[in-house]
Parts: sequence; structure tokens; C-alpha cells
Amino acid sequence: MKTYPVLAVAILAQATGNTFLSKGMKQIASVTIEDSHWLALFPQAIESPTLWFGTALLIISFLLFATALSWADLSFVLPTISVEVILTVSFADYFLNEPVSPMRWVGTLFISIGVILVSRSGRQMRRASLEKENG
Amino acid sequence: MKTAVMIAIIVLADSAGDVLITKGMKQVGEISTIKPKELLSIAQRVLSNRNFLSGIFFMAVTFFSFLTVLSWADLSLVFPATSLVYVASGLGAKFILKETVSLQRWAGILLVCLGVALTSLS
Repeated sequence: MKTYPVLAVAILAQATGNTFLSKGMKQIASVTIEDSHWLALFPQAIESPTLWFGTALLIISFLLFATALSWADLSFVLPTISVEVILTVSFADYFLNEPVSPMRWVGTLFISIGVILVSRSGRQMRRASLEKENG
Repeated sequence: MKTAVMIAIIVLADSAGDVLITKGMKQVGEISTIKPKELLSIAQRVLSNRNFLSGIFFMAVTFFSFLTVLSWADLSLVFPATSLVYVASGLGAKFILKETVSLQRWAGILLVCLGVALTSLS
């Protein structure tokens, strides 16, 4: 079963990419003059290796998801995105030292269960429409 | 407040991008060849499809809005909130496309909303 390893790497790349983007943008924001327009961040963003690395990871993650979709069912791939949310919040907590309160953890859990429910409901719809097509 | 506006932009641009890219790719048709010459002509059709190009534009808006909001807001707040895209697509399916939205999907949408509310409280 090659689907699991591919999706695992895709999710890991996404969460790591998000973490680098957040770190990179905060580094830039901390050295920019406080009252300057937010657009002033972009010339520096282009020169930040942290942001380029994060972006590369997100592209890799996207390509892996797209590859997995070429053989696996969308309704199987989509619910795995719920893991991304939990992993990203864990990384923000652990690597970025963000204060993640118990309330935020509960909210994150609610969101991932919600995402699973929403993405699995697509499967039943597709099955119903297939049955309709096939009479 | 500034964060909420940015998240709304991310969610709306992300949904718009998804819909437009899907529409564009469906217009181009199924890709069932690996011959370089044919792939090249498919690529040309994809890159001249207006829906696909608008979709890419909205994807870029999503990405740069995400970057911008991360310059001041917590990743553990922003990333979970982008799941509101499932709420947007559910409401779009119900009220724009007039599709039937299953009870399970409504339950999921409700959970995502509750979750985002909880993550933003702290």
C-alpha cells in the first residue's frame, strides 16, 4: 500500500512548510519598521531562504497529494487533511513556542473531526450519483 | 479584526480558486495520454483557458494573504481557521448550486465552525 507513505510525507511536508512560512514572516516583520505598509514586507520576503524553503515544501506536498489522487479515491485522500490541522498546531506549539491553550486544542480537534465528516459525506454523494447513472 | 478579515479573504479566494480550476480542467477534458507532443498541446489549452487562469490568480491571492497574516498572527490560529473553506463550499453547494447537503456534511460544517470559534477565543 503506497498510498499511506505518500500521504504521510505530503502531510509532514505541509505542516513543516507552514511552520517555516510562519517563522520566516515573523522574522521579517520583526525587523521592519512598525508603521510601514504591509506591502513593504514583500521585497524582503523574496530574499528570505526560510520562506523559499517553506514554499518549496508546500509545493512538494501539493505534488504528492496530486500524485496520490491519480490512483487513490478523493474521499480517501481528503479526510487525511484533518491530520494536517493537528500536526500544524503541534508544530506551532513545539517549534514556534506559540501559546496553545487547552481551548485551542479542543477547537483544533473539533475542526479535524468536522473536516473528516465533511469530506466523507462526498463519498456517499458520489456513490448515490453513480448508482443513479447506472440505473 | 484585521486577522478575521484576512482569514475571510483566504477562505473566499481559496474556494473561488478551487471552483475555477476544476471548471477549467473539466473544459480541457480528461488527460489520458503521455505522448509529449499531445501533452504539450494539452498544456497550451490549459494555459489559455480563462477559468484555469482566474483560478491560478485566486490561488496566488490565497497564498500571499496567508503569508501576510502570518507576519502578525499565530500559525495555530490561522491554519485551523482556513478549514472554514469547507463551510464556504457547503454553503455554496446549498445556496448557489442548490445541491442537497447531507446531514453528515451539516454536522461537519457545524463542528468546523465551533472549532474555529474555540481556537479564536484564546
